[in-house]
Amino acid sequence: MSDLQKAFAKSKLGGYPVNPPVPFNEVEEEEEEIEALGDLPVDDDSSSASSASSASSTGTIIPSSNHNLFARPQGSPNRRTLDQIPWTTYFERELFLKSTKDAGTITYHAYLTSPVGTGPLFVTHHGAGSSGLSFAVVASEIRKKLPSAGILSLDARGHGSTKITPVPEKLDLSLERLSEDLVSVIDNTKTQMDWKEMPPLVLIGHSLGGAVVTDVAKSGRLGNAVLGYAVLDVVEGSAIDALQSMHTYLSTRPPGFTSLQSGIEWHVRSRTIRNSVSARTSVPSLLTHNAESKGSGAWTWRTNLAATQPFWEGWFVGLSNKFLSARGGKLLLLAGTDRLDKELTIGQMQGKYALQVFPEAGHFIHEDLPEKTAMVIVDFYRRNDRSTLVLPPKVSDLLRAGKKV
Amino acid sequence: MSDLDRAIAQLRSCRPIPEAQVRELCHKARELLIEEGNVVTVTAPVTICGDIHGQFHDLMELFRVGGDVPDTNYLFMGDFVDRGFYSLESFLLLLCLKVRYPDRMTLIRGNHESRQITTVYGFYDECLRKYGSANVWRYCCEVFDYLALGAIVLGASNTLEPSPEALAHSQSLGPTQGLTESDIEIEVLNADGVYINSFARKTQPSSAESSPAQSRTGAPGSGASGWSTGTPGNTSGAVLCVHGGLSPLIDTVDKIRILDRKQEVPHEGAMCDLLWSDPDEIDGWGLSPRGAGFLFGADIVRVFNHANDLSLIARAHQLVMEGFKEMFDSTIVTVWSAPNYCYRCGNVAAILELGEDGSGDGVIARSNGDVTRSDGGVMREKERLLLPGPARRYRVFQAAPQDSRGMPAKKPVIEYFL
Repeated sequence: MSDLQKAFAKSKLGGYPVNPPVPFNEVEEEEEEIEALGDLPVDDDSSSASSASSASSTGTIIPSSNHNLFARPQGSPNRRTLDQIPWTTYFERELFLKSTKDAGTITYHAYLTSPVGTGPLFVTHHGAGSSGLSFAVVASEIRKKLPSAGILSLDARGHGSTKITPVPEKLDLSLERLSEDLVSVIDNTKTQMDWKEMPPLVLIGHSLGGAVVTDVAKSGRLGNAVLGYAVLDVVEGSAIDALQSMHTYLSTRPPGFTSLQSGIEWHVRSRTIRNSVSARTSVPSLLTHNAESKGSGAWTWRTNLAATQPFWEGWFVGLSNKFLSARGGKLLLLAGTDRLDKELTIGQMQGKYALQVFPEAGHFIHEDLPEKTAMVIVDFYRRNDRSTLVLPPKVSDLLRAGKKV
Repeated sequence: MSDLDRAIAQLRSCRPIPEAQVRELCHKARELLIEEGNVVTVTAPVTICGDIHGQFHDLMELFRVGGDVPDTNYLFMGDFVDRGFYSLESFLLLLCLKVRYPDRMTLIRGNHESRQITTVYGFYDECLRKYGSANVWRYCCEVFDYLALGAIVLGASNTLEPSPEALAHSQSLGPTQGLTESDIEIEVLNADGVYINSFARKTQPSSAESSPAQSRTGAPGSGASGWSTGTPGNTSGAVLCVHGGLSPLIDTVDKIRILDRKQEVPHEGAMCDLLWSDPDEIDGWGLSPRGAGFLFGADIVRVFNHANDLSLIARAHQLVMEGFKEMFDSTIVTVWSAPNYCYRCGNVAAILELGEDGSGDGVIARSNGDVTRSDGGVMREKERLLLPGPARRYRVFQAAPQDSRGMPAKKPVIEYFL
């Protein structure tokens, strides 16, 4: 930038609060910031590189601090923040649902935003090692598009804030147990919230959660309330293929972090979660704080994934068949077409379910692309909504109305 | 040898042609396609093919089984691209053949002939990989917008001529044993033309009543009854070919003709339904699990066929493990022409041959989708007769043996999958 331009810029920008120039270290991070949601911490390049380059290339100076004036005052103005975003941003309340069975008592923890009127309740189940907050951002996006919608997002046993007392020696994460948990959380929520009848349900599961919601849908335990179910990025064939490499993957994860921020940063940097807003929301619930240990042992994983290995195959075997044969609308959201196995390829080409592919997303589709995922889910609900099932108009009526057909 | 022939030869060996040539080809193809109506009229004999999905070697096998262009008259019902590894070569070859032999090759649009779908299911990536830019994809997509939405096959015979192979072999071969030729409605042959199965024509109770009506038919001016069900040799109705199926917004073939087709496939509406719908064992219309189009039942097909003088709807769009599937008393058939779909499904493929009606007096069945015109203004309400279907010969074939060298190696994805 020439001195003249600088001087001009200075005089022009003088009236605005000046942001400290942020050091510009990584191109990759820059991209992620752009992918992030528009209304959350705003991408504010203002005083740093980009306005300078636009000045030198076009000779026009854009006082870009301007657009900061219209940003919503949510989160910190510093764009590179990796601070935690609390769950209260996304949900109306949290529920602690007690259930006594067999040997001990389990207190399910779930986040809830109640449906309004006859609105549907989207019930979400996260994948292994994740938590109910995995669906927080997509939940708020769904509510933006469908304000009457309710969202119930639970923490599965051994995950998030769901607690079992006394702590069992071995965590039972079998598919049957997880399916029972899901049904009992839904029933308990209905009781606790004093709902007269079950709202129409759309089950959404990511990864392991996909296997759970499919299992529940197939069993028919929720009866007619289920309008449909959506499975995010899990396919029997490719999941079972990937299981072999899972230990390798898990061993490349850092065992712990020095702080929450560094945990969030790792998720963003490793592109495990490709959206920093989502990472800031969901990662804190994956980690647990150990007061006595210092350094990288301060924050460790809540769920010991490697220990869940005995259950892995049981989660996925028979998934494709169950997915195709259960009742209700079916939606499969994938991050890549090649993930379809034979059964689902045939099923797709016979038109048995709806498939949506987001090649630009990673495994955590709903966290990487919350807005697009919400759009697809809401469309899926609208198509399957029984209360307003509209048959196509009759041709003769259309013609009478003078419409072109 | 013209440039076009050279391009055909090059594409037949599965090598892409240069970008400049693609551009010229697409330009010519568009000029040709823009002249076609939304519903192309095709006269039998014709060989009807379903989805190809970029499986080039299987397309070559299809040509081997069905006969080469221009010796055989082909009708492809869309979904040329996506999923297979050679969408580009497959589509460009078909397009070259269309430009070279416009009267022997009919291409109609499938739901994969769309910008949105091809960016997700492989064609876009393939173009990018093979040319380094999206230009070729863009040229192809422009052609997609001009493809017809359907075709009507006229003049199909309702008796089966013996297949050339059967003639070449001795006449004592299986196909016609015990049945006279005119009794056979459906014949199934394998890839080498060897007889597999055949089905006799069901004698419909109404056929006895309708025969006097036929005998009343006289030449114009001969004093015979003013209305006619057609010449005796031409009793079969027309065949409508469309990629997906029917639409609740379309009750006559003429409604398809007045659509504005030169656009990207919309998310809803008549054009979308024609490319997305599926027949199903339901009453009336239903919700399609695909998220686009509708499901339609036997009653819908029967009414549509009756109102439009059709004897059969041929469509593709759905994978059938046996290659073809007739539904609803043979009023609709699904033809699938991508064997071992996606290189993993283990299905066989089929093509449908409709013979030429040689016995007529050179008059092509007048069925053109317009009820009043075809009936001389008199409705046939009394009889409710279903037009006898044309005789159908299916050739079933398997995936071509191919070396795996041409296939892009799949990256072993180490993915977090729990």
